[in-house]
Amino acid sequence: MFNKILIANRGEIAIRIMRACRELGIKTVAVYSEADKNSLHVQFADEAILLGAPAPKDSYLHIDKIIAAAKKTKAEAIHPGYGFLSENASFAQEVESAKLIFIGPSADSIRAMGDKAESKARMKQAGVPTVLGFEGLESEKDFKKAAEEIGYPVLVKAAAGGGGKGMRVVNAGRELSEAIESARREALNAFGDERLLIEKYLTDAHHIEIQVFGDRQGNLIHLFERECSVQRRHQKIIEETPSPLLTPKLRKEMGQAAVAAAKAVHYFNAGTVEFIFDPKTSDYYFLEMNTRLQVEHPITELVAGIDLVQWQIRVAAGENFPFKQSDFIQRGHAIECRVYAEDPANGFLPSTGKLLQYIEPRGPGIRVDSGFAAGSEVTHFYDPLLAKLIVHAENREAAVHKMQQALREFVTHGVVTNIDFMQAVLAHDDFAKGKVTTRWVEKALESNSLLFNMQERASVLHVIAAALADVAFAGTKSQPAISNETDPFSPWKQMNNYRN
Amino acid sequence: MKVTFDSQALEINPSGDGYIVMLDDKTISVQVVRADAERGQMDLLIDGRRVTAYVSTDITKRWVTVNGQTMMLTKTSDAKRGVRHDYAGGLTAPMPGQVRSVSVRAGDAVKKGQTLLTIEAMKMEIRIQALKDGKIKAVYVSQGETVEREQILIEVEE
Repeated sequence: MFNKILIANRGEIAIRIMRACRELGIKTVAVYSEADKNSLHVQFADEAILLGAPAPKDSYLHIDKIIAAAKKTKAEAIHPGYGFLSENASFAQEVESAKLIFIGPSADSIRAMGDKAESKARMKQAGVPTVLGFEGLESEKDFKKAAEEIGYPVLVKAAAGGGGKGMRVVNAGRELSEAIESARREALNAFGDERLLIEKYLTDAHHIEIQVFGDRQGNLIHLFERECSVQRRHQKIIEETPSPLLTPKLRKEMGQAAVAAAKAVHYFNAGTVEFIFDPKTSDYYFLEMNTRLQVEHPITELVAGIDLVQWQIRVAAGENFPFKQSDFIQRGHAIECRVYAEDPANGFLPSTGKLLQYIEPRGPGIRVDSGFAAGSEVTHFYDPLLAKLIVHAENREAAVHKMQQALREFVTHGVVTNIDFMQAVLAHDDFAKGKVTTRWVEKALESNSLLFNMQERASVLHVIAAALADVAFAGTKSQPAISNETDPFSPWKQMNNYRN
Repeated sequence: MKVTFDSQALEINPSGDGYIVMLDDKTISVQVVRADAERGQMDLLIDGRRVTAYVSTDITKRWVTVNGQTMMLTKTSDAKRGVRHDYAGGLTAPMPGQVRSVSVRAGDAVKKGQTLLTIEAMKMEIRIQALKDGKIKAVYVSQGETVEREQILIEVEE
């Protein structure tokens, strides 16, 4: 086992990984940018190394600096978390070249799944269902012919793509040439690679993904599904497991398809195979594989009863994954809500500022993975995810009620959050019936069927409380102390229990 | 005591071991059972009903959570025009934004309430005004510059 691990990430996921390390008796090294010098992940680690300026390219994406930090602190392995360098094959390669262990799959697996065209071809070969479409086309004439064969609407997307970049929905033939041109331009800018593929666009589909896990010895199983259809701008906000749509038969089939997909690229460590699911036909198609730990991994941990991050570390150290498929069952129901500092009433634009108050809910079956505390600064440099609120209960209905109550007890002041918006989604009839598709949020907003605008519901109680606060808190310190110390290792900043 | 939040005016007066709040035509009795400044938490009895509220203060803004709903209210009764911000002898930016105009230079004499500079943030123009008569000691920003929240913009001396 390792003695020391460097975590090449920030925020809640860095802290999540450090917790796993502590439980395994492993020392931790944090890396941070200038904007994060007072962040919790820096205070939580045993050591911390400054990488550079706030911009990701100067800090969390700077491969040389991160590897140098690992060398300097004598860390033996690097956990990339999610985002940043987690799906960068060159990074995985360079980590290994530096005689360090990359906690994740091989660089070859990352590379094979990172290329949409290659991965799709490999999936077809492995017998995994893929969306009808074509790769390797070049001329506009070929694209036109392909689109007509597939039938509109079609999706044109970058082969090297990800994160919704270089992706266009085309509803009719006359939109095709412009879509190809702009997707190419975007793909070239974002990935330096203008290859596109074309496929059928499913309009009312669910996003259902399967967690897989394996070791270097070739044992690989799945840990069931996650339903992640509540999305805005291709970004997930609420995830749950089990999916209300899957029957045991479908679950088994999709699980087997995911295992086949992962084995086709000789996968080990934690990974996720994403599928598009058509609720009308119950057909499912391979979308892509995320070759890393997912943001929403906690719901799988709760329902399958496993610590995915600890096992990531253990199999990276060469241990066998000792479980068989039949060792796992799904117990109860788990839901995750991503609490973002963003304003749903204002196009989900990020909301930055200082957290004047931050109180997390607590109680049986409630888990909060977060990287913030009262006094923390939410900056515009990084993803505005404040916390992941995760609940686990006997069944779906009980889990929804637990989540609604937990969200009610989550107090965040100083930045606008999407809490009210998520409450509106959870209370919606379509959510209760499991009818939310990936375009549902967009459509619900257009038709004004979600009520969440916080300013429209000012109650008498709020006004009275605001007025009384000046009187009730008079003479006492009304705000939490905000540290301006610059030394992240000051003994005054060691906060093992940072919740207020 | 009379206060206004957004457009809602109310009057609070001590009465016995609590307060009487007058709001619109209603008279409401309020008692503070417990106040925890660190958590910003107040346990109130409002007409006999137990209500837990969380309040944070940011100059004229009040972030209030009651029954799981968070709202941002602005105290309007004592800041009628523009927004005033003072901090450590200087005037600071109330929110991140861009300096739109600077109308004074170091050494200028200014009158209380005079607009010293304007910031544009989220499509709003915010006027930064002198809190008292005095002389500009230093101007730290220039037109077009991006400023962070609570960044010191201008210092005024008596």
